[in-house]
Amino acid sequence: MIKNQKLKKYFVMILASSALLFMAAPVFAAEIFYDFEIKEIKVGTEFEIGIFLNTEKENINALEGIVRFPAELLEFKKIRDGNSIINFWIERPRERQGTGDKEQGEVVFSGITPGGYTGTKGLLFSLVFQAKKEGQGTLGIQQAKALLNDGQGTQTQLRVSDFQFSISEQIPGSLSLVPGLKDTEPPESFMPEIASDPDAFEGKRFLVFATQDKGSGISYYEVKETRQRILVFSKWVEAESPYILQDQELRSYVFVKAIDKDGNARIEKISPKNPLRWYENYENWIIVIVGLAAAYAFRKFLWKKYIRA
Amino acid sequence: MKVLLILFVIFINFRGAVLTRPVFAISGTVDITGTVPGCGDGVIQTGESCDGSNLNSQTCSSQGFSGGTLTCNANCTFNTSQCTTAPPPPSGGGGGGGFIAPPSETAAVFSGRAYPKSTVTLLKDAQIAATAIAGSDAAFSMKLSGLSGGNYIFAIYGEDSKGNRSSLLTFPTSVTSGATTYVSGIFIAPTIATDKSEVKRGDNIAIFGQSVPSAEITIAVSSEDEFFGKTAADKSGAYLYNFDTAPLDMGQHFTKSKAARDGAISSFSKAISFMVGTKNIFAQLPTKCPAKADLNGDCRVNLVDFSIAAYWYKRPLSAAFVQKETESLNGDGKINLIDFSIMAFYWTG
Repeated sequence: MIKNQKLKKYFVMILASSALLFMAAPVFAAEIFYDFEIKEIKVGTEFEIGIFLNTEKENINALEGIVRFPAELLEFKKIRDGNSIINFWIERPRERQGTGDKEQGEVVFSGITPGGYTGTKGLLFSLVFQAKKEGQGTLGIQQAKALLNDGQGTQTQLRVSDFQFSISEQIPGSLSLVPGLKDTEPPESFMPEIASDPDAFEGKRFLVFATQDKGSGISYYEVKETRQRILVFSKWVEAESPYILQDQELRSYVFVKAIDKDGNARIEKISPKNPLRWYENYENWIIVIVGLAAAYAFRKFLWKKYIRA
Repeated sequence: MKVLLILFVIFINFRGAVLTRPVFAISGTVDITGTVPGCGDGVIQTGESCDGSNLNSQTCSSQGFSGGTLTCNANCTFNTSQCTTAPPPPSGGGGGGGFIAPPSETAAVFSGRAYPKSTVTLLKDAQIAATAIAGSDAAFSMKLSGLSGGNYIFAIYGEDSKGNRSSLLTFPTSVTSGATTYVSGIFIAPTIATDKSEVKRGDNIAIFGQSVPSAEITIAVSSEDEFFGKTAADKSGAYLYNFDTAPLDMGQHFTKSKAARDGAISSFSKAISFMVGTKNIFAQLPTKCPAKADLNGDCRVNLVDFSIAAYWYKRPLSAAFVQKETESLNGDGKINLIDFSIMAFYWTG
């Protein structure tokens, strides 16, 4: 009897160890996780959830997914992607109304990191919400995909857990859990480039640009094209990369302004490939005319005075 | 009068301070988080600046300090806390008064080894930020100024004497505002090529490339069992290994290489494929153009190619672009995340 009990005990131990071993396998899959620990939120509170990637030693270069949240409980405020490991967004994270359940809010994202990212806590982006009313809800990421940096776009296993929370009036504490850091630095320097391709944009010349802002993140870009250097009357136009150039003859200076979410700006310039000849630029004629007028005035008034003296 | 005298003394001191700068050198160290594989074994591997007492021949001076003792942190990054900075130079009389320290620069310094006389390109968040020419000993160093405090993805690649590019080596790096971050001990993986695209089973295939002069090169050939061979790079960093294909099965195989020198080991190069079959077909010489993802044919994979692909993202492709997608991307007749992943792998900036 004792022998049987011992055997039973060993059997259970082996079974438990095997189960643990079997269950431990998926731990090595890459994971998307959240860094927001608070599960109970006071009504009216603004809070920020950071969405991070742990690659579990794999080298991942492309990611996509859809963040879904209960729109009746959470009011979406903004997205922060200032320190993201994603260098280029194919679809910049943006809010859209739920495609299926209209009560679900969605934030779609997809992007790449050239050369890949390997690390345990790489920020994808942060979402800022305000708790609207009492209730319990879940924020999750669906249709998430992570691809390996292997030259073939091999999909790797990706674990995504849900973030469960409850909103209540009864919770004491602050009404803002969003770090209020003021960004005073402009976006990173960058090099806009003009290109053309017969297979895109009807063969028209287009401008490409991208930069990052390590503080508040990029808010938007503006572009200005002008053939003049001094008397510039053309206006800044809000633009996205790629931007089809107005001046397809490439005779204009092209300015690109990157503005971050705190209003800091950086301007980069591309000189014209086919600049105006000197006589085609009316600025030069103005200089010539003003010069001639000055010479005439000098001769007529000052020189005569000098001779008389 | 007294006020004027005080102002004059402050002016003289300030002028002296400005003329004799730098008075204080402010520096930081790289903060590489996460577990570094092999850290603690005394051997410097990719991602490690140092390992235990092995400082990779670096000193406080080589890290930008004037003296002191350089040590290694437990996470295999340099500890410069015992390094010292130069004392302020004599002000030349006048004594007393205040000094306003100049605003310190936010910068990053990258140093390591590539291939002798090769061009090394540094990408900041996937866009070209600097290039440098390595010395005849393959050592390079470059400084990037004007950064902000925050997280960057820096990447480096080298181009050997034949124009063959190494794979991208990436460094997610946290840069501290007002400090200089040092990323040292970078060891770019060797370049690799083969003389045949198909080799008759039992014949030799030549596997060659470039690395650091006199480095020990390990060649791996994949099959059911992986085969390893070793050879040495010559003074110019070039290496050649003749591999007997007799033990390989018929079909496609891959080969890659890595280099070791002075206790430091590079990561593996990109893997290139060859067929084992019934005849010998000589391979084309390596070209400067990326094998894939160069959509506009300028021999670079960068934001322009990304923009062209983004134009067709989730759209039906034109007949002309279908052909381009087949040649340059995964050939499934549409542009999706897989194509962008291929592009990210072949990225040159």
